[in-house]
Amino acid sequence: MEERRYLSASGARIALRHRQHSASCGELAVRCPRLRLRSLSAATSAAWLAAYGLFVVTENSMVLSAAIVIMLVGLIMYLHFVKIDQESLLVIGSLGIQVTSSYASGKESTTFIEMSQVKDVVINEAIHMQKVIYYLCILLQDPGDPQGVSEVVPLFQSSKPRLDCLIEVYKSCQEILEQRKTPPQSS
Amino acid sequence: ENSPAPLPERAIYGFALFLGSWFGFMLYLIWAYVPETWLFSLGLTYWPQKYWAVALPVYLLVVIGIGYVLLFGINMMSTAPLNSTDTVTDNYAKKQQRKKFQEEAIPALRDIPISEVNRMFFLPEK
Repeated sequence: MEERRYLSASGARIALRHRQHSASCGELAVRCPRLRLRSLSAATSAAWLAAYGLFVVTENSMVLSAAIVIMLVGLIMYLHFVKIDQESLLVIGSLGIQVTSSYASGKESTTFIEMSQVKDVVINEAIHMQKVIYYLCILLQDPGDPQGVSEVVPLFQSSKPRLDCLIEVYKSCQEILEQRKTPPQSS
Repeated sequence: ENSPAPLPERAIYGFALFLGSWFGFMLYLIWAYVPETWLFSLGLTYWPQKYWAVALPVYLLVVIGIGYVLLFGINMMSTAPLNSTDTVTDNYAKKQQRKKFQEEAIPALRDIPISEVNRMFFLPEK
């Protein structure tokens, strides 16, 4: 199990941890940078200074208590719903693929895709917000058409790793997925 | 038949447009500057308010400014999101017919599936 440092599409430092449990089971986790104390204090000071300015203008002390409450509630909601700490991918060759996102407040949300629904795991390029980015995605099989793709599930949406990290993840996923085609050796 | 060369008909259309636009511009200037009483004394009473002589150009400039923002926004809205199959394939690629592989001939042009392209780029050939 090793951890390697990479850069995300926006320049933040992320870390990739790759654990190979067995030949047909691998786990890849991308850890996003933590919430910095200086950005938190900068945002808090800016919001409280604005609230104090509003208090000086309107002479209403409710503005100050409202600003404090909004800051606290907003911070808790940001940590619980927006700020992602780690995104991981667990590929089990005969069973399926599990995608987990853990938020900064400790909440985890998982999605499991059964292996018969998975057509392939590929690196796709697409236009996203005036940039062209590479992103890893799972192609789901169309039940009616063996060559068709019914759905595209993008992975690592918040950490957005760059191509070097994505190639690592792609290679380990392909090693496990290739074993699907060849029938198992032991009967 | 559709050459861009100058023709007599095109010259006549161009001259008619030139005269028409000059006439329109002169009419606009007369309407904007000549006082209302003079126009009434000539019998021209049912012309629009002079407010519009300033309002319409302002509207036009604001529309042009909003048009820049609108075009940008329309472009962003029409871009396929990351989870749509339009980033991977489309109707023409799904219905394409595969030609038979001939020895010693250049392979036919076709849309290569993304799995093959990925294997070629990212998995090193041993």
